[in-house]
Amino acid sequence: MAAPSMAAALAASLPAPASAPAPAAPTYEAIPPSMSTAIDIEAEIPLTCVQLDAMVVTKIVQHGREAPSASAHGLLLGLDLDGILEVSNSFPLPSQTSEEDDKSPKSIARYQASMLRSLKEVQGDDNVVGFYQATTLGAFFDRTLVDTQAIHQERLRHGGVVVVHGDLISPARQLVEIDGADRCITNRKGKCVVPGIQTDVFVYGRIQEREFQLFKVGCAYLVDVEYAGFTIYYSLMARRLKFSSILEEIPVRVRTNPLASAFLERLVAPGSGAYTTRQLTEGETPGLGGSFSVLDLGQSGVSRSLELVSEAIDSYRTEDGNVAYLTRQITREKLRAETYVAKRKEENVQRVAQGLSPLPEEDVSRLFKVPGEPSRLESMLLLGQADAYAKSMESLAGIALVNMYGARGGGVYF
Amino acid sequence: MNVEKIKARDDCNSADELSFFITMPLGPTSSAIFIQNGSRTLPDVSPPRPMSLTVHPTALLSILDHYVRRTDVQHRVIGTLLGTRTPTSTPSPSIPTVVNVTHAFAVLHSETEEQVAVDGDYHRAMYEMFLKGRGESIVPSGTASAGVGVGPQGKEGLSIVGWYATGSSEGSPAGLGTFSALIQNFYEQETTPFPAVHLALDTGTEEGVGAGVRAYISSPIGVYPKAENCVFVPIPCELKFHEFERSGLDLLLASSSTPSSTFLPTSPLPALHTALVGTSNALNRVLAHVQAILCGEIPPDPALGKYLWTVLGAAHDEEGGWATALQDTVMVSYLANLVRGQAEVAARLALAGGA
Repeated sequence: MAAPSMAAALAASLPAPASAPAPAAPTYEAIPPSMSTAIDIEAEIPLTCVQLDAMVVTKIVQHGREAPSASAHGLLLGLDLDGILEVSNSFPLPSQTSEEDDKSPKSIARYQASMLRSLKEVQGDDNVVGFYQATTLGAFFDRTLVDTQAIHQERLRHGGVVVVHGDLISPARQLVEIDGADRCITNRKGKCVVPGIQTDVFVYGRIQEREFQLFKVGCAYLVDVEYAGFTIYYSLMARRLKFSSILEEIPVRVRTNPLASAFLERLVAPGSGAYTTRQLTEGETPGLGGSFSVLDLGQSGVSRSLELVSEAIDSYRTEDGNVAYLTRQITREKLRAETYVAKRKEENVQRVAQGLSPLPEEDVSRLFKVPGEPSRLESMLLLGQADAYAKSMESLAGIALVNMYGARGGGVYF
Repeated sequence: MNVEKIKARDDCNSADELSFFITMPLGPTSSAIFIQNGSRTLPDVSPPRPMSLTVHPTALLSILDHYVRRTDVQHRVIGTLLGTRTPTSTPSPSIPTVVNVTHAFAVLHSETEEQVAVDGDYHRAMYEMFLKGRGESIVPSGTASAGVGVGPQGKEGLSIVGWYATGSSEGSPAGLGTFSALIQNFYEQETTPFPAVHLALDTGTEEGVGAGVRAYISSPIGVYPKAENCVFVPIPCELKFHEFERSGLDLLLASSSTPSSTFLPTSPLPALHTALVGTSNALNRVLAHVQAILCGEIPPDPALGKYLWTVLGAAHDEEGGWATALQDTVMVSYLANLVRGQAEVAARLALAGGA
C-alpha cells in the first residue's frame, strides 16, 4: 500500500471530535486529491473510530429493553470513510431461541436480504458493517458473540465490528416497576424477575454508565476457530491469547445529525413558563430534562453485581473441573497405552530371542482411544465474563463511594 | 377540498412549558380543542377511538432520518407507525384509548398534482419483517373483537397504529389535505377495527414553522362517506420513554450540544457533576419561587406546596446506615479488584500451564 494519506494522518493527529468534519468537508468536489486516498476500496485504512447515529443508539437501547429473551442482537448498517465507520442504521435479528428448527438460519438469511433490499428502496444504507448485542453489565464474552464475529470477519470490510451495549438487568428490573404490567421479564441469566416490587431504590444510577463499547475481533482468533476442537488449546496458547486480547476495542462516539439535534434541542428547551397542576400530579413520566439518577445512593446494583460475579466464578469453576477431568482422562489413557506398548516391546524382545516373529505394534491406536484435548476457549470466555462483571462492580462501587462522600460532605443525608 | 382542520395556531406558546412532563408542542396547554370522541357513548358497536398518543424517541428519530434521506422530488415523506394500544386509567380501564407509537418505518409513496400512491406491498412486507425481527408472528388484523375493546394486541404485540408524514405548513398541499385523507383511508383499512392515527411532524426546516409533532385521528364528514372527505381531529401527543432509556437520550443530547455533533461516551463522574449542577439550579428556582410567594408577588398554589413538601420531606437522616453502607462499598470495591486480579492470573496460568 502507498504511504498513509494526508487526510488519514490529519485525522489521526487531531483529537477525536474535531476529526469528524475534516475529511467530510470537500467530499462533494469532483475528485479532490486528498479524498482519492481517503476513499479506499480495499479497506486498507484501519478503523480508528466508530460513529453511531442517534437513531441507532435509541434503536439498540430500545431493542435491548424490549427483548423478551437473553439475546438481543441485530445488524449494523453504514459506511466507513477514512478510518471512521459511520453506522447509520440498524435492525434487529430474530432471536435464535424462538425457533429451534433447522430452517431458521436460512429464513434469517432471507429476512436479512429482504430487509436490506427494502431499506435500499427508501434510500437507506444497505451495507452491513457489523452487529450489535445487548449484554448484562458489560459481560459480553460469549461463545455466540465470538462465533458470529468470526463469521462476519470473513465477509465484511474491516472484518466487521461489534457494538456491545451493556446492561440488560436493570432494564428488566425497571421495566417491571415502571409499567407495573402483569408479566415477568426473563433476564439474561434465565431468572424471572417477579413484578410487583415497587421501590424507588431500583431506579439506580447504573444506567447512565451504559457506555457503548465496541470491539473488533483480533485476527488471531479467526485462525483458531478454524481448528476448533483439538488444536484450539494449543493455538490459544501459541498466540498468547487471553480474554483481554481476543477483541480489540475501538472508541465509539455518538452523532446526531443537525436536523435531529435541532429537534432535540427544541424538545429540551427549558421551560420558562409556570408549572401546571397536571405536570405535578402526573410527574411519573419524565421529560427530556436533566437526568438525576446518578444522585441515587441506592446499593441495589452492587448486590446484583456481586451475585453475577459469584455466578460467573461458579460456572468457571465447573468448566475448569470439566477440563481437569478430561485432562486426567487423557493422561490415564496415554499411560495405559504406553504401558501396553512397553509390555509388547518386552514381549517382542523375548520372542525375537526365542526366534519367533515379533507381534505388530501398530494396533495400539485401535485399542486405546486417547480423547482430544479439551477446548479452553469456553473457560477463557467465562473468565472474561467474571472479569467484566468485576469491572462493572468496581466502577459501581467507585461511584457509590463518591456519592456517599459527596452526600456526607454536603451535610445532607438522602 | 372538503378537509377541515380543528386546530388553533398556537405553536409559539405551547413549546414553552415542557420542562418536566412531556416535551412536545402539543402539550396539555395547547389551545387546540381536544374533542372527546364517541368511545363512551357507543362502546359496544365501535372500537374505541384513541384519545391520546405517545411517541417513543426511536420513532421520532426514524422519521427524521427518513426525511433527511428523501429524494429531491419528494417534498414530504410518509411511513407507517407501529406501536401498542393501552388503556388509560380513566375513564374506563378496559378500553385501549392511548396509542403508544414505538417504531416507525418508511414507506414508498409518490404524489403528483393529480394523484397519490402508496406502496401497499412494501408497507405490508416491512410490517411482516418488523414482526419477524421481534420474533412475533403476524396477528391477522380483523380478529380483534370490537365488542370487548381489547384486541389481541392488548399484550406487548406490535401492530400498525397509523402513519406519519413530515408536514409543512397546514395550508399547503403537503399539509393535511385530500391526499392525506386518502392515505388516512388506506391506513384505516390496515388498522381495522381500530381507527388509524396520523402523526404530522414539523421538521422545523421551513420558514415560520416550529419543530414539533401533532397527532390526529380522522372522522368521516359529509352526507355520503367518501374516502377523500374527512376531518382530522387533533389529539394530545406526548413523548414517552422508559426511565432506563434515559441514559441513551442523555448521550444524544450531549452529542447534539457539541459543535461537531459528535460525542464520546465518558465516565460517570461528569454525569454526576451535571446532575449536581442541575439539582442546584432546580433548588435555586424553587427557592426563588418560594421567596416570591412569601413576598406576595405570586399567588401561592396549594398543589405546588404539597408537592414540594413531599419531595423535600423525603430526605431522612441515617447516621449508622451511612457508616455501614460505606464499609460495604469499600468491601465490594476490594472484592472486585481481587476478582479481576485473580482472573488475570488465571488467564496467564492457563497459557503457561500447557506450554
